[in-house]
Amino acid sequence: MPTDVLDRIAVAGGGRQLRLVSREMSDLKNAEAHDSGHTDSVPYIADDEASRVASDETPEQRDARFEHDALPLLDALYGAALRLTRNPSDAEDLVQETFAKAYSSFHQFRPGTNLKAWLYRIQTNNFINTYRKQQREPLLSSTDDVEDWQMAKAESHTSSGLKSAETEALENLPDEDIRAAMLAIPEDFRTAVYLADLEGFSYKEIADIMETPVGTVMSRLHRGRRQLRDLLEDYAHERGFVVVRSGAPSAVPTSEEAS
Amino acid sequence: MSCGKPHAHDCSEVLRRVYTFIDGEATSADCVWIQEHLDECGPCLQEYGIDRKVKELVSRACGRDPVPQDVRDRMLGRISTIRTTTVIQGDAGYSAGRVEITRVQFDQE
Repeated sequence: MPTDVLDRIAVAGGGRQLRLVSREMSDLKNAEAHDSGHTDSVPYIADDEASRVASDETPEQRDARFEHDALPLLDALYGAALRLTRNPSDAEDLVQETFAKAYSSFHQFRPGTNLKAWLYRIQTNNFINTYRKQQREPLLSSTDDVEDWQMAKAESHTSSGLKSAETEALENLPDEDIRAAMLAIPEDFRTAVYLADLEGFSYKEIADIMETPVGTVMSRLHRGRRQLRDLLEDYAHERGFVVVRSGAPSAVPTSEEAS
Repeated sequence: MSCGKPHAHDCSEVLRRVYTFIDGEATSADCVWIQEHLDECGPCLQEYGIDRKVKELVSRACGRDPVPQDVRDRMLGRISTIRTTTVIQGDAGYSAGRVEITRVQFDQE
């Protein structure tokens, strides 16, 4: 490797060089990943602040910052990787890839912004661009929007007097039922639900991670939770718990399912 | 649809926004009238309770899986490898996008 390349990358200003390479690679990748809708494996920071921080920072300082800020999130990212890939071997590969990319691109991360969301976005992109293709899971169309679920159906409730019993029945479900129900709903919905309910991300953060509009996030959460609730009610019923089916619409009619 | 009792807002309006309310994403103005509605409408309150329960169940049942120590060790090993070798790589499978740059001195001053 030519020394001048090493120098350009290793010394101050390396942030900009690395980013340039990273972008060129993204372009290469886009040519093959054009159908995924996910075009950049590392969130790109448009302003100059990141490169300013990167150039102000020694590699040792950046290393320390990575170790202090990013590594504690390994557990959370590994759990998410397990839920995405559904097997420990792929989960390890995915989380390794995520942290390797994050480490190599850490100069792009702007201190003070949400590191956890940044890592999740890298991981989600990694997953979509590689593992999901390998798994040949059907891609859900992303044509869902707010109007679709807000306008298409009239929410309603029945005035059953047994709803508190239903809450209790759901509470008594074993964890394996909840996990099974989560796996039964479409992947995009499941991911949104995980990010919201398990990781506590805001709608805006989920939108950034999944690279979709906030309205789509709301739609996915709404549909995913409706389907989840229906499944859980079914499980509770099968287990003999007292459950009266809610008046909420069953598996939400969506354009995705119809197509 | 409504539960039949007079409300300032229709029950369907509440149920449509119930997730934003549960998620803390409703506007403060929406929170006020949704809360008022839930206080006076038993059926909507019960729907709200179930939806909130489902959210709790996800959190309860799908909790974090700690990283096994061997996985953690291998991950840290890979990071320390990158410390001496800066590897910028495309996703697995993108052979055209793989660029590897060996850097001799990471801590070059």
